[in-house]
Amino acid sequence: MANLNIKAQAENTYQAIVIGSGMSGSWAAKELCENGVKTLVIERGKDVKHIKDYPTTNMLPYEFPHRGQLTQEIQKENPIASRCYAFREDAAHFFVKDQEHPYVQEKPFDWIRGYQVGGKSLLWARQVQRLSDFDFEGPARDGFAVDWPIRYRDIAPWYSHVEKFAGVSGNKDGLAHLPDGEFLPGFPLNIVEQYFQEELKKHYGNDRHMILARCAHITGNLEHFQKQGRAKCQSRNLCQRGCPFGGYFSANASTLPWAERTGNLTMRTDAVVHSIIYDEAKGKATGVRIIDTHTKEEESYFAEVIFVNASALNTNLILLNSTSNRFPNGLGNDNGLLGKYVAFHNYRAGISAEHEGHQEYTTAGGRPTSGYFPRFRNLHKQETDFLRGYAAGFSAGRGSYADQSGIGMELKENLLNPSQYGPWHVGSHMMGETIPKESNYVALDANEKDPWGIPQLKVHVDYDDNDEKMIKDYLEQMTEMFEKAGFTNIKTRDDKRAPGLDIHEMGGVRMGRDPRTSLLNANHQLHSVPNVYVTDGACMTSTATQNPSLTYMAFAARAAHHAMKDF
Amino acid sequence: MNRRLALKNLALISGGLILVPSCDFSQEEILEAYDKLKITPSQNALIAQIADTIIPPGKIKGAQDISVQDFILIMVNDCYSEEQQASFITGLNGFEAYSKNNKGKKFQRLDQAERESLILNGLQDKAEENKDLSTFLSMTKRLTIQGFMSSEYMQTEVKPYSLIPGAYQGAVLISNLNPEQLHG
Repeated sequence: MANLNIKAQAENTYQAIVIGSGMSGSWAAKELCENGVKTLVIERGKDVKHIKDYPTTNMLPYEFPHRGQLTQEIQKENPIASRCYAFREDAAHFFVKDQEHPYVQEKPFDWIRGYQVGGKSLLWARQVQRLSDFDFEGPARDGFAVDWPIRYRDIAPWYSHVEKFAGVSGNKDGLAHLPDGEFLPGFPLNIVEQYFQEELKKHYGNDRHMILARCAHITGNLEHFQKQGRAKCQSRNLCQRGCPFGGYFSANASTLPWAERTGNLTMRTDAVVHSIIYDEAKGKATGVRIIDTHTKEEESYFAEVIFVNASALNTNLILLNSTSNRFPNGLGNDNGLLGKYVAFHNYRAGISAEHEGHQEYTTAGGRPTSGYFPRFRNLHKQETDFLRGYAAGFSAGRGSYADQSGIGMELKENLLNPSQYGPWHVGSHMMGETIPKESNYVALDANEKDPWGIPQLKVHVDYDDNDEKMIKDYLEQMTEMFEKAGFTNIKTRDDKRAPGLDIHEMGGVRMGRDPRTSLLNANHQLHSVPNVYVTDGACMTSTATQNPSLTYMAFAARAAHHAMKDF
Repeated sequence: MNRRLALKNLALISGGLILVPSCDFSQEEILEAYDKLKITPSQNALIAQIADTIIPPGKIKGAQDISVQDFILIMVNDCYSEEQQASFITGLNGFEAYSKNNKGKKFQRLDQAERESLILNGLQDKAEENKDLSTFLSMTKRLTIQGFMSSEYMQTEVKPYSLIPGAYQGAVLISNLNPEQLHG
């Protein structure tokens, strides 16, 4: 028996294990494999092969029985997922269904998940803005959370490294608080977006900017991307189905096949991680305990280094569930802060209006991105009664429509020849920084278990007074800017959505300089278990205002290279 | 796959043509595809006529030519709430009486102009007792337009749909656009 066990252990031993195959895990895997490290990637969901497993990618509108809408039955069964804009007939198969993966909401939290190879990298909105020192220095300057143990200079080369491989389209805007990167040609802003840009310059000088949002789409350097089997973005705007061109970055189209080609990658799908194994004699983590999601059998895999990239909240869950005599409250949790200081992005507010000018123009074709307001509030110094600020999306658009008031031949003629143009519609939504607090936390539920016997995650996250003030300010400032630009019929909204629907949940395993107040060091290692790295959203000390995926990818690449020093 | 699901899928493909005995042993059978609505073939035919009045045939096919009624019923059956479904069915059941009251004849016996005026009246009818009827008609109209415009026929033969819409242009002069004029 002993021999058998040793043999089984040898067969299940790799140099590195990466938990999670999505945005950040696939980057860790790619870097490790490319540098000769035998790597096992563990994925709780099923395999999704690029193109082959995108069943709806080339379907025409009439091939969807409900033209994109989901049935009442599906919506009733999935109240959480149904609140996500992309949970529709063409992409519902990539979303976690509410009942299959329950969790406990101590406060309302819409946890949107994608359990499959590639994770949510198939479904993301593909916006990739760099953080800057205005963000990394934020907690220290404004006295919240803890100081980030890194600065922009530490991560800048890794942003470049990731951007060159993933493909990022954008313009060089020369803004210190939204650093430029390795950009492929940007998509155009339309004539009304450009008009708004000029109006901002006129009224706010160099203080407020509306720029083209940087997005992870290929728009040039095509030979370089051919090596990954990826081609130019065709502006289909059907990204959530999976892209047959590999036009946008997904783990499935890019990092995972790249890692596979090295011969160093092993994938273990349909395996939910129960916990990380800690060896008290060796004083380090030695492996990962999984449960096969179909057979429900337990298995163990072993490695020198373990990367936890299970998505922000699931990374918390795995660490919390990894208990031992040494760590009775979760792996690396000597200070009791694991699971705490969870934060997110505040997406509650939005504004829409009309623009009466530029009536002679319209737009044509598709564009997978829009305009973007980098943060301008409290940027150089504290200037309001709330901390930090917000970024915002911005776009203008116009289309032709048909008069549908009549019926019969008149209606038919109108439908066939939609010739009426309304005013331009302009709109914006906020992306507010939220302040991580000890009272916003996740924990293991004492009673409820998931179908694999793992404790369910209990989520206790809410808005606070700072968020309410920020919403008010966003709506006031946007209204002012819209009025100054001459926009009319301005309508503001606060949809009161629960946290989570932003799909930018972060923290719980934060980085910091001091093991007494943080879980991870500057290299993403657990302070007290340095062969365990966390480089997904869980590591975030503060949220900044930028869409965070690019930062997770850069963190994963940087940490992978740090880990390789030991091989 | 269980028998019921298999039957339903087959029914969806064949436009609901599979008939099962109705539960109340009335004379007519009901169409299997729309399990929540319990639609009889004659109700289906009436919806087809209404849809065809909303978008009539001409040089370009009309709603009934491409069976828009099946799309309407699939949508109401699958994507609408129970209250909306109840309103739809009540309105549908009261439609022939509404035709007789307003035009003195069954809908089928009206000419196109009379049919149009009846439907327009019904759509605008604010009377409390006709609330379901006007709800039924406005749902039917909305779904007729959606089903017609997003049909395979329209999107392949009349106004071909492209999965690749072309590069973005942010300032196109409307006066430079010369869309082909289509006549129904």
